[in-house]
Amino acid sequence: MSAGLYVEEEEFSASFSGPALMRLLKLVLNYRGYVAGYVVGVIGLVAMEGIHIYLGKRILDEGVIPGDFAHVQQLLILWGLVSVALAGFVALFIFCAGSVGQAINYDLRKAMFGRLQELSLSYYDKTPVGWIMARATSDSRRVSELVSFGFLDFFWGATSVVVFLGFMMWLNWRLALVMLFIVPVMVGAALLFQKHILGQWREVRRLNSRITGSYAESIQGVRVTKSLGREQANLTEFSGLATEMYSASYKAAWLSALFLPVIQVIAAVAVSAVIYVGGQQYAQGFMTVGAIQAFIQYLFWMLFPIQEMARVYAQIQQAVASGERIFALIDSIPEIQDQPGAKTQVSLRGDIEFKHIHFAYEPSNPVLTNFTLHVEEGETVALVGPTGAGKSTVVNLLCRFYEPQTGLIEIAGQEVRSMTLHALHSRIGMVLQTPYLFSGSLTENLRYGRLEATDAEVREAAELVGADEFIRHFPQGYDTDVGEGGALLSVGQKQLISMARAVLAHPDIFIMDEATSSVDTLTEAKIQAAMQTLLSSTTSFVIAHRLSTIRNADKILVIRNGGISEMGNHANLIRARGYYYDLYRKQYRDEASRDTDPFFGSKLTYA
Amino acid sequence: MTISFPRSLRLQDFDLRRIRGVSQAKALYRFIAGYRVIYLAALAALAISGFARSQFATVIRRFTDDVLLAQNFKDLHWYGLAFLGLAGVAGTCTFWGSRQAARTAEGAVRRLRVFLYDHLQHLPFARHDHMQSGDLIQRSSSDVEEVRRLLAEHFTGVGRIFTISSMAFLAMFDLHARLALVSAVVIPISVFVSTRFWRHLAQIFFDFQDQEARLSSLLQENLYGARVVRAFARERHEIGRFEAANATLRHRGRRMVRFHNIYWPSMDLLLATQMVGSLMLGSWMAVQGEISVGTYLAFVSLLSLMIGPIRHLGRIFALSTQSLVSLDRIRTIIEERREPLHAGDHVPESPLQGDIRYENVSFAYDVPASDTAEGRRPPAVLHDISFTAAPGQIVAILGSTGSGKTSVMNLLLRFYDASAGHIYLDGVDLTRYPRAALRRHIGIVQQDPFLFGRTIRENIRYGAAQEVSEEEIQNAARAANIHDSVMSFPKGYDTIVGEQGVTLSGGQRQRLAIARTILKDPKILILDDATSAVDAETERFIRDALQQLMQGRTTFIIAHRISSIATADKILVMDGGRIVQAGAHAELAAQAGLYRQVFQLQTSIEAELTEELAAAGKPPPPNGLAPGLQVQRDSG
Repeated sequence: MSAGLYVEEEEFSASFSGPALMRLLKLVLNYRGYVAGYVVGVIGLVAMEGIHIYLGKRILDEGVIPGDFAHVQQLLILWGLVSVALAGFVALFIFCAGSVGQAINYDLRKAMFGRLQELSLSYYDKTPVGWIMARATSDSRRVSELVSFGFLDFFWGATSVVVFLGFMMWLNWRLALVMLFIVPVMVGAALLFQKHILGQWREVRRLNSRITGSYAESIQGVRVTKSLGREQANLTEFSGLATEMYSASYKAAWLSALFLPVIQVIAAVAVSAVIYVGGQQYAQGFMTVGAIQAFIQYLFWMLFPIQEMARVYAQIQQAVASGERIFALIDSIPEIQDQPGAKTQVSLRGDIEFKHIHFAYEPSNPVLTNFTLHVEEGETVALVGPTGAGKSTVVNLLCRFYEPQTGLIEIAGQEVRSMTLHALHSRIGMVLQTPYLFSGSLTENLRYGRLEATDAEVREAAELVGADEFIRHFPQGYDTDVGEGGALLSVGQKQLISMARAVLAHPDIFIMDEATSSVDTLTEAKIQAAMQTLLSSTTSFVIAHRLSTIRNADKILVIRNGGISEMGNHANLIRARGYYYDLYRKQYRDEASRDTDPFFGSKLTYA
Repeated sequence: MTISFPRSLRLQDFDLRRIRGVSQAKALYRFIAGYRVIYLAALAALAISGFARSQFATVIRRFTDDVLLAQNFKDLHWYGLAFLGLAGVAGTCTFWGSRQAARTAEGAVRRLRVFLYDHLQHLPFARHDHMQSGDLIQRSSSDVEEVRRLLAEHFTGVGRIFTISSMAFLAMFDLHARLALVSAVVIPISVFVSTRFWRHLAQIFFDFQDQEARLSSLLQENLYGARVVRAFARERHEIGRFEAANATLRHRGRRMVRFHNIYWPSMDLLLATQMVGSLMLGSWMAVQGEISVGTYLAFVSLLSLMIGPIRHLGRIFALSTQSLVSLDRIRTIIEERREPLHAGDHVPESPLQGDIRYENVSFAYDVPASDTAEGRRPPAVLHDISFTAAPGQIVAILGSTGSGKTSVMNLLLRFYDASAGHIYLDGVDLTRYPRAALRRHIGIVQQDPFLFGRTIRENIRYGAAQEVSEEEIQNAARAANIHDSVMSFPKGYDTIVGEQGVTLSGGQRQRLAIARTILKDPKILILDDATSAVDAETERFIRDALQQLMQGRTTFIIAHRISSIATADKILVMDGGRIVQAGAHAELAAQAGLYRQVFQLQTSIEAELTEELAAAGKPPPPNGLAPGLQVQRDSG
């Protein structure tokens, strides 16, 4: 875990995007049934609340004041029935809004994941995993909250205000006109206030991620702190940050605390107006006691919906920004796509031809320039050269993970672009330097190479690369769980599993990118022997440090400065006394020392 | 402490270690030390606000009885103003109370944050060894946030509900005792139902979160393994896996919806039943003339004020339980003992000489059983270590992983204390030096040093006790051969290191650490001397920088290959926690033993290589020795 995991909340533009909001609304409309349900639920709920208050007025005016208890009883039974209906509407809108939220969250994640599987590796080079994760988790959640309970609450708030004002109008239009003046002030104040509060909380979140970052750094760097005696200085620094956090969150908290009282006081002004104007209306015979009472009730019942409306309004901007980012991901176009009419079934047995390839990950920094290579079927090609010179690039291009800017690649006489990516990748077996396993059992990981492989075939592949031995040492054998990313296995073990996985795929072309760098010498020798048959019959590309692998290759390529600087077999290149000669000597010493020197590579293990 | 606090921050010096070993309630009480009066006042303000709100009913009662029904309209405006006045009082008290509660919560949590930060950097190294850093970070961030919520939201939430309901009840009781008692029947029932319901929801929510985490790690794996997925053309397979987990999450989300779907309507029905019953009784009394119409109205409005908020209690209880678990998790860290940095009676007045003597030192780590059970290798044990290092000498320690090299150096820094024997520095027992003073005089340069996510300038200055000028920083950087690299960055010394800025190479990081150590100017130096991972030119740069640094200091080199230590004054060969050989290179090479074995190995490798190259068809190279063995020490 690193401090970098705590990515600061992304800033977004102040104005929100109309198209993104429309697109969100359209998403909701995919669930017309639920939407209809929640519109009905909210309108029903608000109507029932309005009727409740109105019934309260009638109980007072028609029952309590004239002293007619039988009528009160009838009205109360009605009141009870309305309560049941109200509960029903509550259930309806919770169900509909909740279901829409879950469904849209599900849809967004599904759409994002599907798109992520199509995107080319160049997208992953440019986009940090943390960024994508944030889209799929917090952004997706924020959007689904908005489209479910957010939209709902907003609609509920607006409906309440309108419906209750309608009831007021019906009871006494003169007094209602006074309310028509005050209520918008209340709503406007609430909306403005909430936006301001939200801004302050955003500041708090920003500081909070800095504080978490500080903790992370302090914990991970504790040894340095201790040995440099930095405790006091660190504390002073952190204390400043914590005080900043205190000021920001205190301000945010009391601003929030101010919100409700302000709205309530505005509401109290309205109630006072009801008392004063309503009293006069009563004196003139335009209003009953119950009506005045009902007015006050309607006002109180508006408060909560208005608060909720303001809250949603303040959050809409943020949620729409989240939506925009999600749409940006879903709309990304894969750089490498299947061409129309590409072949879905191919054989890659045959010669391989790289013709005048130019390639750069970034335009300013070319990796391969005018790279040309011919490999005959069944040959083993070893690629050597300094880090970053383009060894991996050659095989990445062959797999069409990236596309060259100019030039073309042919396998068995067919251009790689003439086949689908799926067809191409199905016929290539690849073992990577940083072997990545997926959480699940060993068998599941091995079978990743060929999903329909039988248990016996899986075992055979594991035996071939010498993985069977350590697997059987696990109490649960092939059913052993490998942990997230294969964390429960050593790097060497992971390399063996990923090797077996590739063997199981029965590929036409075999690629090993530093595949056995962390395997001990004895095991490596075994693999070498076992792989000999496979390597001799299959066209193979090997990026390796191990001398034994390189030495036996049919062709050794030294990749430097954007192209092939030396090519030939081992003896030729030694005689040439160039880069390969130097590399070989250094490598020889390192390997020999590693195998025999007990002190070699042992490190001071500080935290 | 030299930190100045804003006036609103009271008692920030309260030592949170005082919440050790007490009950949870007492810990909470002490936790808000300095804010207790304010916090109580805040709760009182909330109570006053509740009282004012309950008095709305009085205004309505008298307005109905004395104005409307009495047909006496001359005081009409006073009732309007009274209502406004009460709202003003209620609003002011709510605001003031919440503000003070926020001040308490934020102030106490600020203190907690600072304390935890300091506490963590003062915990002995042995503790850090055995704690997961991710877990520690989680405890000091999200758990602290939970505690903040407990004070700022949950407690005040319960307080608000309690005061409003009870004030409404009292006002109602004042109107008519029997009516009030009958109407309160629903309260215990709904508290019970609500609490039970939410406890159940907490479990459902936990399952949901669990699945959410699972889905996230599935996605993360897929992203990190993107290359593998592409290489095996397994996109469809992956989509299938994700789909299954995604559907489960949706299913669990729906279970939560279903819960709310049952809870809120049933709560509404429960309260409606009470309303119907109370209204029936109230209106009957009003019809009978036992209570006035105004009283009836007041009663109706108090009724919803009293029972409305109860619905939310269960939620707050459930959240509080969660927060209290967080509090306990934080307290387990607070319970840990600090290592005293300043205990010790010997503070050297004149500069140290750097004369070091180990006398029969033995050491065993104190490892909790739980840690070894998790498969961690128990750290090495030292037996009977004795050696001396004179001022300015270079001592190399050679040994394989687990042989005890690290432990020997950890003892010198007093990251741990020896279990037997003595270590003397300038003739004084090491335990008499305060740790902070001791560590000031020892510098470490690691192979892969930890740099902080701040500017290069700050990283270099990081270890200096004194104020340093820009010039001194640049001089140190020059001496460490890093100045030119730094100047090649667009922002020079203001370049930020790490994730937010420039990623430095291993060699650059190492040289920055050397510059940092030059400024610290320690008398004793520990070098994690591994240059095998860097290319030849960088290796030369680092070697030059180290030569500079070693002058006039007692230096320990933790060695990995014989080639790099042949020039040391003394070489200690370690195996299994013991020193098996000691002496200079020439001596050791002449003796039978581990050292000579390894040394001969190096020579034989060269011979084999020569043979091998010859076999490939070319004459051997003129010099048979590895370049590493030719390095000479250029100053004595």
